[in-house]
Amino acid sequence: MSKATPRIRTIKVPYLARVEGEGGLFVKLKGDQVTDVKLKIFEPPRLFEAFLRGRHLTEIPDIVARICGICPVAYQMSAVHAIERAMGVTVDPAIRLLRRLFYCGEWIESHALHVFMLHAPDFLGYPDAIQMARDHRALVEQGLRLKKAGNRIVTLLGGREIHPVSVAVGGFYRVPTENELAVLGDDLKRALDESVAAVRLVAAFEFPDFEQDYEFVALSHPLEYPFNEGRLVSNKGLDIDVADYENHFAERQVAHSNALHSLLHGSGSYLVGPLARFNLNFSRLPDVAQQVARECGLAVPCRNPFRSIVVRAVEMVFAFWEALRVLREYRQPASSRAEVPDRAGAGCAATEAPRGTLYHRYEIDDGGLVRLAKIVPPTSQNQKRIEDDLWRFVSQLASRPNEEVTWKCEQAVRNYDPCISCATHFLQLHVERE
Amino acid sequence: MLILGCGNPDRSDDAAGILVARRLRELGIPAEEFVGDAPGLIDAWSGWADVIVVDAMKSGASPGTIKTWTARTSAFPAGQFRCSTHAFGVAEAIELARAIDRLPRNLVVVGIEGIRFEWGGLPSAEVAEAIERLAQRIVKNGSADELP
Repeated sequence: MSKATPRIRTIKVPYLARVEGEGGLFVKLKGDQVTDVKLKIFEPPRLFEAFLRGRHLTEIPDIVARICGICPVAYQMSAVHAIERAMGVTVDPAIRLLRRLFYCGEWIESHALHVFMLHAPDFLGYPDAIQMARDHRALVEQGLRLKKAGNRIVTLLGGREIHPVSVAVGGFYRVPTENELAVLGDDLKRALDESVAAVRLVAAFEFPDFEQDYEFVALSHPLEYPFNEGRLVSNKGLDIDVADYENHFAERQVAHSNALHSLLHGSGSYLVGPLARFNLNFSRLPDVAQQVARECGLAVPCRNPFRSIVVRAVEMVFAFWEALRVLREYRQPASSRAEVPDRAGAGCAATEAPRGTLYHRYEIDDGGLVRLAKIVPPTSQNQKRIEDDLWRFVSQLASRPNEEVTWKCEQAVRNYDPCISCATHFLQLHVERE
Repeated sequence: MLILGCGNPDRSDDAAGILVARRLRELGIPAEEFVGDAPGLIDAWSGWADVIVVDAMKSGASPGTIKTWTARTSAFPAGQFRCSTHAFGVAEAIELARAIDRLPRNLVVVGIEGIRFEWGGLPSAEVAEAIERLAQRIVKNGSADELP
């Protein structure tokens, strides 16, 4: 009698839905043992770093905004901070406030889309938001209202709701008057209340029992929940100035992805994004966000990536609260932007995009032209971590039918809200069972 | 009546909807360019009973072909309007609006078949001709109801 050979199964998601960009997932199982996991990113390389070379520093914010339709503000913010650092430019405190408000708008737009339209269907058992909407109309309308409130902020500051055109090195091409900002107030107050309700709503979803010992990496600022400033820290001892980023992190090319994997020297994969920010900066959240998080049982550290949907909702509460703070404190500055000299220099910056830390570095020549540009997006940093999660998560699911494994794997990938267009600048699942 | 032209003005034939809106304004017909994200369409047509949405499509028809759908009465061919890298396109916005009862009373979607969608390019001759043909047809017919 021959010995039974373990069954080989391959699970493929050739085109991952409800993520931004083009990618697929490949999982191979021998019996109940996972033998391979690849997050395949086949979106073609977009070569932004190369075609930024030779452009004048003033053109950079408008070019990098085109990297992503979901998080253009993040690209603009990391770029202007890096170039300002290179040129020794200090911005007016009012500009800093407006940049925080701008980021609030983008986080709200991005998080509302992901929480309500892209990720909630996974938890409620629907293949997409449209089918979910037939049974959960109020939830979808709530998502649309919250997103619209974010769109209004970005439109007001950026001139339009996607690919804003107002950001300049040193500030903005035009800044709003106090009255122009004040009109957002009532809408934001309503949205703040609605975002608190959203946290309670998503916290009641059922979450798989899955925790990992992550190294969380995020900016940390002594007084603020981070957007544009702070040191880069982790829960495992990293505490560096952003200028030292490339001494601690390295990008690696892998055959199955057109996006580079970013790794942390000495520890490998790490996690950036809402979960990392929340765990590393909980005490800097406003009381209203801390209270609703505690009320919903969201304790620090939260190591269950499926609960990231709740963390995104908490970050929306923060963003509405912060936006209202900016409205109260903003006074129109005398000048919309600081003078920026044409001179040689080099500078880097990291800011917190909705999906996590976004690093930029530029070298500028004495004519103000970019000689070198380096951009490390959040999804590139999370890619290896997504694969590591799937290795362990699929092991728990190995005895289940392929259809269920596929569904759960896609849900696990969407925990990270990956933006593949950014990182290569989408997702298909392929599970192979031996 | 609200006319919304969708698309990316910097991506060859994908600019078709935007260019129809611009041409209509030259011809004295109010039309808006919609460049926001697709869920925003639901807000854009909020309060309007008669709406025309013009967008580029890729159905396999010959370039410059113009097709129309009445959203309330016909199933929307989602696969033909996937000229978006984003998870949510025009088709998803229409179906989401239908699910939450926020479709305009009369929504006509007009697709112009594109052939090239590369960055920075001009529209193809076939699409340029279709843009003019569609604009003239809207001027002549005057409402979405009368479009064939």
